[in-house]
Amino acid sequence: MINIENLIVRFDNAEVLQSINLDIPVGTWSCLVGPNGAGKTTLLRTMLGMQPYSGSIKYNGREIAKNKSLNIAFVPQRPSIPAAMSVAEYVMLGRAKLDGWGKESAHSRNIVHEMLEATQLLGMQSQLVNTLSGGEMQRVLIARALVQEPEVMLLDEPTSALDLHHQIAVLNKVEEIKATGVTIISTMHDITLGAMYAERIIIMQSGRVLLDGESQSVIHSPELRSAFDDRISVHKLENGRPVIIAAKRATGLDQGVI
Amino acid sequence: MFKKFTRPTALLVTALLLAPLSPASAASTSTKYPLIISSGGYSTTIPKKPTRIISLSPSATESLFEIGAGKQVLAVDSLSNFPKSAPITELSAFEPNVEAIAALKPDLVVLSVDAMKSMVVKEALEKLKIPVLMEKAPENLAQAYKEIEVLGAVTDRSAEAKKVTFKMAALIKSIVNRTKKTVKITFFHELDNTLYSVTSDTFIGKVYKDFGLVNIADKAAGADSYGYPQLSAEYLLKTDPDVIFLADAEYGESAATVKARAGWSGITAVTKKNVFALPNDIPSRWGPRLVDFYRYVAACLTKVKK
Amino acid sequence: MKKNQIDRVWRWQITASAAAALLIACLLGVGFGPVNLNFGSIIRTLLGLPNGLENEDRTLLLELRLPRVVLGALVGAALATSGAVYQSVFRNPLADPYLLGVASGAGLGATIAITNGGGDLHALLPIFAFLGGVLAVGATFLVAGRLFADPSTLLLAGIAVGSFATAFQTYLQQRNSAALRPVYSWILGELTVANWDVVKWAGFYIFIALFVLIRISKVLDALMLSDEEAYSLGVSPQKIRLIAVAAATLATATAVSASGLIGFVGIVVPHLVRGLTKRATNRSLLSIAFVGAAFLVIADLGARTLLSPAELPIGVITAFVGAPFFLFVLRARNRGSQ
Repeated sequence: MINIENLIVRFDNAEVLQSINLDIPVGTWSCLVGPNGAGKTTLLRTMLGMQPYSGSIKYNGREIAKNKSLNIAFVPQRPSIPAAMSVAEYVMLGRAKLDGWGKESAHSRNIVHEMLEATQLLGMQSQLVNTLSGGEMQRVLIARALVQEPEVMLLDEPTSALDLHHQIAVLNKVEEIKATGVTIISTMHDITLGAMYAERIIIMQSGRVLLDGESQSVIHSPELRSAFDDRISVHKLENGRPVIIAAKRATGLDQGVI
Repeated sequence: MFKKFTRPTALLVTALLLAPLSPASAASTSTKYPLIISSGGYSTTIPKKPTRIISLSPSATESLFEIGAGKQVLAVDSLSNFPKSAPITELSAFEPNVEAIAALKPDLVVLSVDAMKSMVVKEALEKLKIPVLMEKAPENLAQAYKEIEVLGAVTDRSAEAKKVTFKMAALIKSIVNRTKKTVKITFFHELDNTLYSVTSDTFIGKVYKDFGLVNIADKAAGADSYGYPQLSAEYLLKTDPDVIFLADAEYGESAATVKARAGWSGITAVTKKNVFALPNDIPSRWGPRLVDFYRYVAACLTKVKK
Repeated sequence: MKKNQIDRVWRWQITASAAAALLIACLLGVGFGPVNLNFGSIIRTLLGLPNGLENEDRTLLLELRLPRVVLGALVGAALATSGAVYQSVFRNPLADPYLLGVASGAGLGATIAITNGGGDLHALLPIFAFLGGVLAVGATFLVAGRLFADPSTLLLAGIAVGSFATAFQTYLQQRNSAALRPVYSWILGELTVANWDVVKWAGFYIFIALFVLIRISKVLDALMLSDEEAYSLGVSPQKIRLIAVAAATLATATAVSASGLIGFVGIVVPHLVRGLTKRATNRSLLSIAFVGAAFLVIADLGARTLLSPAELPIGVITAFVGAPFFLFVLRARNRGSQ
């Protein structure tokens, strides 16, 4: 269980995260939703130890800041792509914490091989990272995160830069990873997609958690609508799947040419 | 009886007393080696009479040949283009290549203090047992003569060196006296077409000063601590010099190009056709051709119409 | 099981080859010059065996050529390694060691030393150049606002500081015309008359800087990832950035104060090594240092012999090699991304 208690993060005297309290069961997929500036990415970065905070973040009872053996992997939205590095070299970087930087044990090389196979990248192992397409790059990022053998995987907007086909592929992959016991926390703008895969949804607005719970119930809650200033409407498809779409409110502009 | 001998005796005694003062007594001015001499602010020890001299200073080259030490010169730098008989090479006066110099096996190197890393070059050559004579650009005529005399002492041609400097001094004196005007003449010495000039603190400035000329650049002396201020076209128009000396003729400047400059056609020097192009090299050498520089300036001044 | 293994990312043979290249370059460097010395005698002298060179020839080899070759190697290693480190820190393949204002600061220091003449310029100039370079980088961090500023902020601050230093330098030169020639000569870079004194102090600082850089070289790989990923791998990127920039600045400032501004080494050599070995991680740093050293020793050999007895400024040679190399790199990148 990941227990976040009374988490407060300050930035230049403003409280970016105001007293967050969350309990996230291990092995589940939680999706953070909310408008820009809600603090979603800040929460992820705080879990990585990038921000000083007050309060506590515990994994199975131990404060994660003190738990050096805990592996939290991060998959960024926009990776920094080093020029002229091969896929194998890049993915190998993920073993750095376990092996020590610059070392590559035989075990590591096996793991990298396995992960490249699992993400269908083995044929491209010598290809340069800066020649990959968006979808391929996303798979590389996931492979690099996987070789860390993480207990927790954080994904920042994993689908924003992808076309629909690749979005589904990536999310399916993450689901497979979750099935092995990794706790997934992702931020997603596309709530519909998030609701399809994540068991839990956490709604954030202005540094606060408005609601968190099972996807199905959170989706239909009034808190979701209010988090987006009532600019969304939630519908149900025939098979019961929720679809969230932007709602157009009547404004004076409707009468105009726009 | 003694009266017959008095006058010849008196003459003989006088001659004997005056003999040491005569510049022509070669025996007493011959150089004794090893020679420890100070030049350019440094002290050099020369173990024996040098016969394989490498000169890395165009002025020193001219002086060496003028005092008759040309046979003792092995090689001169790429800028030492006078006299024509000097053994010119590709050696650089300003960026000396120690190994290249050493490869020629000289027994004396004349080096300018302004050369890049001159101190280090001197040390390196001395480590290879090659004595180095340092030359500094002189600030006035007396220093220029001293440098020639030092070269004379070093090459065991002191007598000839003294003759050369005496002659230079005499010639310069007569040239100046002949040409000196009582009327005030203002001038502008142009170093390049961005109007860099020289003040009277510089060697060249002093030459002009000897002729009684008034240097318009003196008022701008504060602009550069070495005496080479940059003037503006406006200042030129305001001060309206009577004479313009062009030191940049080898870069394409002439009376015609000066006249064509915007606003310059009204300057006195241009309208009265007193724009003179200085010959290449001569203004920047402080060897025996200094006389030629004085001569040239004098010739210009006789042509000046006021 | 062996067939399933991923290719080794690094091999020790690469480092060994680079070291061998340096050794060959040094032998060539001491073997050639305007004065012809018997190669066998040179080797015997270096190894301390009998029948070596005597007297002036011996002095020429040990007091002139050898320190020059050693200094060239030190400066080459310093510039190449710093360039590679800057490329990692700024995630920019065109970064060079002079980015944060080191060059302009050192140039300003040198100009101040030259225009204030007097005293032992020969000893003062390196000190002023060194201080100028280091202070300029310090100013860059001040201007950037924080010690842990992100790379693009640092870059912009470096440009600002560099421009200011250059402007001030130009002003000083305007007011002191006699300084123009020595300053420009220094700027073009030269190893002309290295001696063992210069080698000693330059070697001291460069060795310290290179030692630090090679120790942290592997962790530098974290800088090639985004900051979040670096943290997830247990690294604080800001701290590494600071140490890396500090050490690289020390190496560069020392190199510049010993030998003036020699360009292109810091950009060309890292690309050369990474391109030839097809490896982009910072494990190549030691090899980059060796190859950088070899590169500059050979370039200096060219400077000394190509137009003998005149000396080419070494910056000219590195530019002649570097400029076409740039075109090559750019074309390769364009082809690769198509």
